[in-house]
Amino acid sequence: MIVVEGLRVRFGRTVALDGIELCLEEGITGLFGPNGSGKSTLLRAVAGLVSPSQGSITFEGAPVAPSQEAWRRLVGYAGHESGLYPNLTVSENLELFGRLYGSDSERPASLLSQLGLEGRSGTQAGELSAGLKRRAAVARALVGEPRLLLLDEPYANLDDDSAALVSEALVAWREPGRSALVATHGAKKLKAFADAGVILRRGRVVTQGRYRDPSHRRRPFHETAAP
Amino acid sequence: MTEAGFVTKTMWLAAKDLRIELRARDTLAPMLGFAATVALVLAFALPEASSGNVGVVAYVQAGFMWVTVLFAGLIGFGRTFEVERAEGALDSLLLVPVDRSALFVSKALSNLAFIVVLEMVLLPLSALLFAYDLGGSWGALVAVVALVDLGFVAVGTLYAALAAQTRSRELLLPLLALPALVPVFIAALELTADLLLGAGFDAVAARGWFGILVAFDVVFVTAGVLLFDAVLD
Repeated sequence: MIVVEGLRVRFGRTVALDGIELCLEEGITGLFGPNGSGKSTLLRAVAGLVSPSQGSITFEGAPVAPSQEAWRRLVGYAGHESGLYPNLTVSENLELFGRLYGSDSERPASLLSQLGLEGRSGTQAGELSAGLKRRAAVARALVGEPRLLLLDEPYANLDDDSAALVSEALVAWREPGRSALVATHGAKKLKAFADAGVILRRGRVVTQGRYRDPSHRRRPFHETAAP
Repeated sequence: MTEAGFVTKTMWLAAKDLRIELRARDTLAPMLGFAATVALVLAFALPEASSGNVGVVAYVQAGFMWVTVLFAGLIGFGRTFEVERAEGALDSLLLVPVDRSALFVSKALSNLAFIVVLEMVLLPLSALLFAYDLGGSWGALVAVVALVDLGFVAVGTLYAALAAQTRSRELLLPLLALPALVPVFIAALELTADLLLGAGFDAVAARGWFGILVAFDVVFVTAGVLLFDAVLD
């Protein structure tokens, strides 16, 4: 669905992404790699929040066009920060973004329930703990029922139970025709249900591929990858 | 649920900004505090009107009022995108399926609301402190104020978006906006002084400054709508 070719992103003298070649098919793809490997920049570039200095990103054969509403309607993104308005309640945040995306009016409440946030719906987002904020950020990214989901460290600051809720929400979201790219250091959590994986190092793809067999997911990704 | 149109989405976004301000009170409070303090201090600096200096006093009164609105407004415009920066909400906003000009119009509407509230406090306060004698010209003053506000808000919102992309945004906003706003505030000063000297709406509307104000509004509102996308990128 998403094809990245020769993607290069520079910030001044720093080369954040150095000729990324990537084919993202439907399903959930884990994006792994050490700090500074370019995971967040790749997510931002695919979302259209960072302009590449070179290369191209296409979605179903057409170049990604962040300036077009039609493209933005397809994308759900949650970055390092929550992307929520701190002075609005969790519920108000989700309702606002849900309305802007034209989602079903029951979608925010359903996501709050799915991510275990019903009891916090009336709490202002700025008053949430880091873990609750992370879950609310995932809910916000999902509220528009995106076809392309881009998540940066969705498991950060989450305990095991909370991480399980996020995983369940991602599995519930997964449908034919939808793709997700999820950057995480919590590789074990994601590998339990991911369809594919990509490993980055120093702005380059080290390896990528789909898991051939669910039983292989417990093993290190590169052993099962078919580059 | 069917997706809403441009106007509805714009109103939702503007309402969001106003709701946040009602809770946080971190834009209007400094604007009003600044304006009230400046008006009070300047009231002591104003020369008393006598038969020989009525014209001078009218210009000084108009100048005091508009300089106060200008700098109090810049305080508010400087915070236009702070609400989006707090938790990285700007990224979320940039990705919502809404025409980018709706973002400009919604931000301009919320800024306009802040400026109108400021003027609703400042104008009566100034009338009291500076003993304005507008006679029956209050309606004409409201028309002039509306035209000034439109241009002021269009420029302030556009440059606030530009400055928000930089690290030195607090410095950059006045540096960019003040030179652009000079024609608006000279026109505001001239037309308000005329009203204070007893001119009616027809006389004010016939002045060249009125035409300049209208032209400025058209140019900068159009520029804001058309350029906002490029500015945010």
